[in-house]
Amino acid sequence: MTTKLSSAPLAVKSLLMCMLLMSSLCGCEREKRQYRTDPPVAAALDEVAPMPNGIAGAPPDAYVAAGEPYKSNAYDLSQGKQLYSEFNCSGCHAEGGGASGPAFLNGWWRYGPQAVSVFVSIRDGRPRGMPAFKSRLTTEQIWQLAGYVQTIGAYSAKTSAPGRNDAMQSRPSENRSPAKSSYASDQWPYSAAQ
Amino acid sequence: MALLRRAIALSVCFTCPGCAGWQSALDPHGQQARGLEGLIWTFIWVAAAVWISVMAVLVVALSRKSGRGAGNERRMRVTVGGAVAGTAAIVLALTIISFLSTRLVSSEASHPLEIRVRGYQWWWEVTYLDARAERVFTTANEIHIPVNRPVRLQLSAADVIHSFWAPNLAGKQDLIPGRENSLTFSAQQPGTYRAQCAEFCGVQHAHMALLVVAETPDAFEHWRQSQLSPAASPTNPEQAEGRKVFTSKPCASCHTIQGTSASASIGPDLTHLASRSYIAAGLLQNTRGSLAAWIADPQTIKPGNNMPNVPLTANELRAVSAYLAALK
Amino acid sequence: MQRSRALDWLITPGIWLIFSAPTGAHDPPSSQEISPTRYSELTQINRDNVSRLKPVVSFRTGTRGAQGGAPLVVGSTLYFLTSFPHILFALDLNRSGAPVRWQFTPEHDPLAAGLACCNRVEHGPVSGAGHINFTTLDGRVIAVDPDTGQVAWNVRVADIHNGETLVSPPTAAGNELLVGNAGDDFGARGWIAALDAHTGRQIWRHYSTGPDQDVGVTGGQDRGSKTWPGESWLHGGGSVAAPILLDPELGLLLHSTGPPAPWNPEPRPGDNAWTSGIFAREPQTGAVRWFAALHPHNSYAWAAGTADISVDRPWNGNNRQLLLHADSDGRIYVLDRASGELLAADALLSKSTVSTPKTDLQVRNICPAWVGAIGGNPALAGPTGLLYVPMSRLCMDIEARNASYLQGTPYIGANVRVHGAPGQPRGAVVAWDLERRVAAWKIDERFPVASDVLATSGGLVFYGTLDGVVKAVDATSGKVLWHWQTNAGISGQPMTFAGPDGRQYIAVIAGLGGPYGVASEYWIDRRDATAVRGLAQSVADLPAPRDPSGTLYVFDIE
Repeated sequence: MTTKLSSAPLAVKSLLMCMLLMSSLCGCEREKRQYRTDPPVAAALDEVAPMPNGIAGAPPDAYVAAGEPYKSNAYDLSQGKQLYSEFNCSGCHAEGGGASGPAFLNGWWRYGPQAVSVFVSIRDGRPRGMPAFKSRLTTEQIWQLAGYVQTIGAYSAKTSAPGRNDAMQSRPSENRSPAKSSYASDQWPYSAAQ
Repeated sequence: MALLRRAIALSVCFTCPGCAGWQSALDPHGQQARGLEGLIWTFIWVAAAVWISVMAVLVVALSRKSGRGAGNERRMRVTVGGAVAGTAAIVLALTIISFLSTRLVSSEASHPLEIRVRGYQWWWEVTYLDARAERVFTTANEIHIPVNRPVRLQLSAADVIHSFWAPNLAGKQDLIPGRENSLTFSAQQPGTYRAQCAEFCGVQHAHMALLVVAETPDAFEHWRQSQLSPAASPTNPEQAEGRKVFTSKPCASCHTIQGTSASASIGPDLTHLASRSYIAAGLLQNTRGSLAAWIADPQTIKPGNNMPNVPLTANELRAVSAYLAALK
Repeated sequence: MQRSRALDWLITPGIWLIFSAPTGAHDPPSSQEISPTRYSELTQINRDNVSRLKPVVSFRTGTRGAQGGAPLVVGSTLYFLTSFPHILFALDLNRSGAPVRWQFTPEHDPLAAGLACCNRVEHGPVSGAGHINFTTLDGRVIAVDPDTGQVAWNVRVADIHNGETLVSPPTAAGNELLVGNAGDDFGARGWIAALDAHTGRQIWRHYSTGPDQDVGVTGGQDRGSKTWPGESWLHGGGSVAAPILLDPELGLLLHSTGPPAPWNPEPRPGDNAWTSGIFAREPQTGAVRWFAALHPHNSYAWAAGTADISVDRPWNGNNRQLLLHADSDGRIYVLDRASGELLAADALLSKSTVSTPKTDLQVRNICPAWVGAIGGNPALAGPTGLLYVPMSRLCMDIEARNASYLQGTPYIGANVRVHGAPGQPRGAVVAWDLERRVAAWKIDERFPVASDVLATSGGLVFYGTLDGVVKAVDATSGKVLWHWQTNAGISGQPMTFAGPDGRQYIAVIAGLGGPYGVASEYWIDRRDATAVRGLAQSVADLPAPRDPSGTLYVFDIE
């Protein structure tokens, strides 16, 4: 059965082929994975300027200049998720539900939700039991972990997600659980501050 | 004619080297591999013979004039019937041979040497099991086995599906997360054989190799004893400095060196790193230089692997590579 | 036969209850502590009048968290310790309403707050050598003067950077104070130490794993290191988190050791000596007399259990010196105290159901769960011959994972979900008949029972529930005779004492603590089934306390 296409002029056929080829090539590049950060950039990523009380503050210039990676790159979030289980975070924080450490799922952050606060918490530790991981993880790894931790307690659903769970699924997936307010009705009705 | 003979000789020269040596299924050194090799050659010869005869028949048929006479139909029925019968017979024969070979290859043995192999992206964790807990030890990326003794690998995976393939010794067996597979094989002569991951497992699947070293029982026992001992102590100030760097930097939060405070099990056990022939899962020769290069910048050598670039000064790198290179 | 039996009942609990060991230069006032059998000879409050029990003191401390310990009465002062960061209160029982005589707040290291997840927590206080002694979560043992609250000595014995904490009260043994650590879920090696009760100086310390020299075994084969691969015994766990029992008759210290670390059994093949068992040691040197291995290669993270009880009574016709150990697997183990011989191991309720966890595989419905079937210290009542055991009936789904040891971080290697046993209420109090080896009666409870039990000579058994109800039940029949709703859940030890006016009082501290306490805290999100190692969802329906602050209640007959 001959179609209109087969009887179209050669120019039209070539143009359609080109468009098809180009649209198929666009499907290849999903997102960039950066396996190796330049050492000076990696060193610069450590230069956060937290406020004197250790809560919030200015992120490193390099971090801002790079477009705030580690929060929206699926590869980095996956690496963060792997680090989370490898470095025993779930022993104190469970899968975001908390144990001796606070939960991340409910969007209540003792030191604020900013990426800088989470980074400083992991790198330097906190007084009420959070150990310091400065000598245990590289700066990029700490940023990957911080990005993942923020995803667990994200206030709104994200477009990028870490890989699916290899382990027991115990809670809604990271990209489906916007944090609930800690004053929601099914939590105990008293102040979160002690 | 002479030209044809020369052509045949040349083609033989090109194909034969593919048969022998390093990581070749056509150079078996183990019982299972021999069984598989027989199967491979059987299939090759039978299939080649079938192909040649089919091609011959095709050539004859194409060159003949068509249309003969009344005897055509009968002849065609005979021919077709014969071809179908022949095909069925060959397929049946090959199936039976295949079944027998595979049964031999996957047979279990009594009292094998038990080794647990766990696949990670992109390295192999090897644990030698024993009824006495104190004789259990862990190493990485290298397996030593005694000759003529069955070895049973308990295969599992930590993240994605891998596959263990030591072509000189046995066939492939997958390492599947959440499941324990096993592979039993034995080496029939001493030698060093390269194995590698045979199931695509990520960006560095191609660089996930393993060395299987078959040795005499005495040499194996000697090796096993040395692997059971704690790590060698530093013998000079540079190595002592290296140990200090190792335990104070992120190194100790991923690796174990028995006898030091480093007891983590995210990365390979390094207690006897210098006793291995390769590092980075068969990627680099184990020399102090490549060790230093690997520690300095693993992401350039094996991009995407899970060892981060730990910032070290030149002195620290020198010291740490001296220490690790001495961990026999 | 009859007479020696009566003496048995009187001697051991009687001495401990009324008189403290004579030690100091001056005659100390009489000390009333909770006895090692948790049985009191006081009879004023009994079956007939208990329904008229009312609180005469409700002292709100304003602290929050594990209020586990039993109050201590010395003379006319009541001492009790609040949750971490601790405050030691001394209340004057001579004046109505028991006002505060003094209070003492030791310096504390807040790092320990991150280590306090999932252990039973009871810090004391305990009287010994004329001091009021207590342990703190952040690893200190402190002795203060009973009259003024001045510190006599204050020593650090546990290293919290290693994950070690102290969660049980010290045991006074003459001139020694015995303490043991918790922290096997952090990979901390378990140990027991003896301190000089007058100065706090350490006399000896022995470990639960390692070569014989570390453990205190003589002439052995280093089982504490040879039943572990490599040097994994260095992070082997075996905490001494349950109270240590002194047997003055045989001159023995009896204590259990906790489960091995990590929870995932695959990295640690072998028997993992000397975890999950019971040691008998010489008090002076700590040398091991015997060890009973209860769960070699413990694969279920069953905790050490609660306090053991020593009693002399007939067993199969002969008088024997027995040790009763209610174990986390839900069985009551009866051992011969002198030799360590295991005489019985009967299941209190239903038998445990287990399958071995394997890495990366989910194994469902292992009962009891890691938190253990025994929720608190049991009590043994002489007259009834019944052992009253507080229990929880929880099961777990466990998925073992790779565990990597990092000092100061949890060393577990498992994802756990906990739920009630199918078709059963989550808690119970069981009265176990030692003679007939069956349960005489049982009370089902909606929530796991995490409090300790008190039995009195007035024929009563006292305990508290997680939703804050203190109950008095008939010791023989189990009928609930009295209950009182307090402001917060109860996880501590009810105790009874004779006040300076000669009247009998019941004292209990409410204020939920321990793992269930953490599971109910505001910083936990129960949408994660593994929160608080699975416990958060197991008590998800626990109502909010009226007041989460720790409160001491003292009850009297109206």
